[in-house]
Amino acid sequence: MDLRVPSGWFFTLLGLILLGMGVFAPETHAALTTANVNLYSGAAMLVFGLFLLLMAWRATRLEKGSNT
Amino acid sequence: MKLAPVDYVILALYFAFVLGIGWRLRKRISSSGDFLTSGRSVPVWITSLAFIAANLGAVEVIGMAASGAKYGIMTCHFYWLGAIPAMLFMGIFMMPFYYGSKARSVPEYLKMRFDEKTRAFNAFSFAVMTILASGISMYALGLLLKLVLGWSFTVSVLASAAIVLAYTFLGGLTSAIYNEVLQFFLIVAGFAPLAIVSVAKAGGWQGIVARLPSNMTHAWRYMGSPTENPMGAELFSMIAGLGFVLSFGYWCTNFLVVQRAMAADSMSAARRTPLIGTIPKMFLPFIVIMPGIAALALSKMNLGYALPLKATGGPDYDQALTTLMAQFYPAGILGVGLTGLMASFMSGMAGNVTAFNTVFTYDIYQSYIRPGAPDRHYLTVGRVTTVVGVLLSIGAAYLATRYNNLMDLLQLVFGVVNAPLFATFLLGMFWKRATAQGAFAGLSIGTAAALFTLSSTVAEGKGGWIANFHTFPSQMAQNFWIAIIAFTTCFVISIVVSTFTTPRTDKDMEGLVYGLTKVPHDHTAKWYQRPAPLTVIVVVLLLILNIWFR
Repeated sequence: MDLRVPSGWFFTLLGLILLGMGVFAPETHAALTTANVNLYSGAAMLVFGLFLLLMAWRATRLEKGSNT
Repeated sequence: MKLAPVDYVILALYFAFVLGIGWRLRKRISSSGDFLTSGRSVPVWITSLAFIAANLGAVEVIGMAASGAKYGIMTCHFYWLGAIPAMLFMGIFMMPFYYGSKARSVPEYLKMRFDEKTRAFNAFSFAVMTILASGISMYALGLLLKLVLGWSFTVSVLASAAIVLAYTFLGGLTSAIYNEVLQFFLIVAGFAPLAIVSVAKAGGWQGIVARLPSNMTHAWRYMGSPTENPMGAELFSMIAGLGFVLSFGYWCTNFLVVQRAMAADSMSAARRTPLIGTIPKMFLPFIVIMPGIAALALSKMNLGYALPLKATGGPDYDQALTTLMAQFYPAGILGVGLTGLMASFMSGMAGNVTAFNTVFTYDIYQSYIRPGAPDRHYLTVGRVTTVVGVLLSIGAAYLATRYNNLMDLLQLVFGVVNAPLFATFLLGMFWKRATAQGAFAGLSIGTAAALFTLSSTVAEGKGGWIANFHTFPSQMAQNFWIAIIAFTTCFVISIVVSTFTTPRTDKDMEGLVYGLTKVPHDHTAKWYQRPAPLTVIVVVLLLILNIWFR
């Protein structure tokens, strides 16, 4: 099992949930900040998750290439 | 703090992935080696992150933020001074002997190099300490969840223990290590946003410097005198006690972390595991310590934020992290932060449980209870020990609820047992003249010296049960000095006794000692895969950080 696959999916899903919160409920924020924390951290997590998936996909493609 | 449905969804999603990874890895287990040592097959980026994640338990995450609020930026020395140099030493100098000796555990190396009684000493004390450590961290988590979220202590302790048990039982060490990497990512994802928003709110680093006393924002300037710096420890004991004895004793001999490197798929990968691990390790303070420092600055800003008080008076630093989460995190990211806290707890506990089952199965059961059985039998014993380890940890957690001082006591016991060990390894690996009698005498007298120092000196009103020869300015200074004394005693006694006893022949010690071991030079490795250039990069980065925050 390539660990990048489950980790990548996990952070992609997490990123989508937070990004959704940030887009559809931009006014939810805690007492001491007005920043849209969900939006920014969700975007960062989504990028990280997709990056892991991309790396895993690239690795399987290289492996297939070297086998044939 | 109140959780929204989305926070529960995130928590559930995390549990599903953790269990899923365990389930997928179950097929890789066909021998006791697969279960207990991962069959030496894990890629290096995974072992490197697991190496630091296994040490990043809930007690550490909460404690580092607390120390940030209590001691300021000096807390970073637990990373920069108290971890990085030792991790480099371990990768460059010690890993060739651990990995090359084919030992399956740290106590087993002691048996190969010295003898049965040194192994037994190490195996038993290690087994007891891992169980207590995982029980204490379970206790800390249960208390925190009860305090912050009002969850029942019993439910949160049993549920989190059940999940850790499920994935370590299914996939063994590989599953623990793979999950530790996911947990590491999640700890970063859960706490990095908190560090960013809380520091920004406090006016950035400049704003924090302006609001706090100067000795809270300088890591080195006030190290000269124990009365000026908030830790109450002076330069010598910081460097020799924390930077040398305690950190080298932990990072180079504690099987909990060494096991991660030993699971790597080659000697070169095993050596690079701690070296690569230093890079994320040196930046972790910005995520786990910075929020604590920011919390202290925020509490001086008339924002309505204050550190909660303890029942006995004085600020309750342990709540720094969770109160900040409540103040800065809306529903959504709050779920991620809380999941990060759970993840840190699980990585710490799984680390303890997987180290415990290996030491018990190989170093206690196979050595003293039933040697020579077929491997299938040891695989079963390993699985059963995993269950027993979790049950004993739960017992230790409940013991902690009944005896409040257990945690204090444990920290002292860790110091007493760990401190002399590094002298034994240093001599064992680098001085072929060191004998088994010397090692055992040094270890036992060194431990006794540590106990004696503890019970004949006083710090913050504790210790001094026999007499009081000296009063330390802080408990931290006392811990550092106990370590220095234990190490020196063990070192000297081992040398003296060794010179009077017969050494083993060189042939018996091939692969175990410096000078009798061929350290492989991997000529095909690219420059960044070799230990020397990696170390140079790490040292330069470390110097820059220390000069920046001097």
